Amino acid sequence: MKLYYFSEMPHHEYPDAEGDKYPSLRLGFPNRFFDREKAAANYQRYLTEYELADRVGFDGLMINEHHSTPSCVNVGANMTAAVLARTTKRAKLLILGNILPIEDNPVRMAEQIAMADLISGGRVLSGFVRGVGVETWWANANPVHNRERFEECHDLILKCWTEPGPFRWESRHYHFRHVNPWCLPLQKPHPPIWVPGTASPETAVWAGQRGYTYVPFLVPFDVARELFDYYRQGAAEAGRTVTPDNLGFLICAVTADTKAKALEAGRHFVWRMGPTLRGPVDWFQPVGMRSRGARQFAMKARPRSLAQMSYDELCAENFIIAGTADEVAERFALVRRELGIGHLLLEAQESRMDHPTTMRSIELMGASVIPAVAKL
Amino acid sequence: MKPREETISVGGVSVHAWVGGQGDPLVVLHGAGGNRGFTRWMHEVARHYTVWAPTHPGFGRSGDAEWMEGIDDLARFHLWFIDTAKLGRPHVLGHSIGGWTAATMATMSPGAIDRLILVAPVGLKPEKGEILDVFYHSPAELRDLTIHDPKMIPEWDELYGTPPTPAELEIAERNREMTARLTWKPYMHDPTLERFLPRVTNRTLVVWGREDRIVPVVCGEQYRRALPNASLTVLEKCGHLPPIEQPDQFAHLVLDFLGGAA
Repeated sequence: MKLYYFSEMPHHEYPDAEGDKYPSLRLGFPNRFFDREKAAANYQRYLTEYELADRVGFDGLMINEHHSTPSCVNVGANMTAAVLARTTKRAKLLILGNILPIEDNPVRMAEQIAMADLISGGRVLSGFVRGVGVETWWANANPVHNRERFEECHDLILKCWTEPGPFRWESRHYHFRHVNPWCLPLQKPHPPIWVPGTASPETAVWAGQRGYTYVPFLVPFDVARELFDYYRQGAAEAGRTVTPDNLGFLICAVTADTKAKALEAGRHFVWRMGPTLRGPVDWFQPVGMRSRGARQFAMKARPRSLAQMSYDELCAENFIIAGTADEVAERFALVRRELGIGHLLLEAQESRMDHPTTMRSIELMGASVIPAVAKL
Repeated sequence: MKPREETISVGGVSVHAWVGGQGDPLVVLHGAGGNRGFTRWMHEVARHYTVWAPTHPGFGRSGDAEWMEGIDDLARFHLWFIDTAKLGRPHVLGHSIGGWTAATMATMSPGAIDRLILVAPVGLKPEKGEILDVFYHSPAELRDLTIHDPKMIPEWDELYGTPPTPAELEIAERNREMTARLTWKPYMHDPTLERFLPRVTNRTLVVWGREDRIVPVVCGEQYRRALPNASLTVLEKCGHLPPIEQPDQFAHLVLDFLGGAA
């Protein structure tokens, strides 16, 4: 099983009491609480952590993107990929991912991903996501078009990578009369494509039909298995065989020299389970963004939200894995046995988890966890 | 008077409509909240006019129209509805997004419409203030913002007294989705509408609630200025729903306007 290092690049640099005054930390929490000096230092720090993760042997570095939120100030996944393409040597660069429905120019996106792939020597894994509602508000993209735009944007990017230009593209949401990108990915025909999932059966089926790597994020094991069944259904429709390489899973994880230190560090993940997901439902799921089927699945899949769970419960259900190196390796093996996955993505830094703690966790993972997990 | 229900196919889309009354036809185009059927003011008006209240495609019990891109499409569609239902040259009354639709229909085909009544229509960018972002608020918050004083609403129990059934919630969600489809960007207005309003020489009544927290009253003044033959009536102590909040005064306004000299 392969291991991936991931940091959301949080900006938890304001008094929590200030955040509590607002309905949500996203969209409406005023950006006067954005601290420019601290952000400048944090970007250096977060990139240093990614670079160490590359050196100690993580199979991949996962990069994501959000907007208008202190939970993640990585506002340009492709920009970060381009930086890491130069400063890392070996690990895959898992962009998970570019938010397709809010993109107005898929041709430029295809070019940017291709350029990161070229600079990195063909290390890009290109994830495509539908985004949470907050990004739809940020971009003022009509949520009722979310799935249509996701699929059209994907189709145009793939065409940019696989069909010779120049060509014309005219679909409902995208119109380009002269498509001829002079930047194509190093990997042929194109970088592997990954798709995350939390609740949409349609997305799982869609990814299965295409053989993309499918990664549920922070869902209970039984929900992940159900989503994988949808994935297999899609794969079967297309006559594809599903292997562990097609399946991934994302959890939060940290290790330290002692169990007590690891458990203390792991508490920082609680911030991303509750406070940063707090807010009106219409901000996170604007009208029409999810199909009726996905809404029903989501209600069934999460009888209790992550925010309602205590730290101990989050650990007990493996949303957070914190312990000594041996302990986390054992838990990772359990996840592998339960889900049959080939890729485990670790959200490995959060909130105010400090730099030394994060660096030590990365070192310990490299020294013993990664070698143990590689054998699984 | 008990209204009847009709389903009329327009361009392959089934349109559900409430129809009732006697006299010349008056087409009533509902707002984003959906078609409430024959409420109190409509019963009053139906004593003198035949009221046609179609449900927009994508709303309520009308068929889907996911192909629609905006209010222009809905306006062309309702002009087609008027033809298909053989209503001749009806009066048209529209509320909120229905008012925007009615105004747009008049700019497209002023001769197809007799008199025009616009009730708190969106469609113009306010010179001062902003149109409330209705999608940013929950349906419950929105109801509070829409109405000035619930205690003044005579039909409160009929309209809001019982919690919605699952089927009604599903329709409400569908109504919101179609509203988003039609009005998301530019949000609730058409930058070129003002340019075309001078074409509409039809006699027009614009009605607004003084306490409207959804669409600023200044938009009523903008419509009155841009339309060559319009007057504006502002109802005091009234929010965004004059037909529901002050049904008797509203019905009288409508009847006075439609019965007045040309």
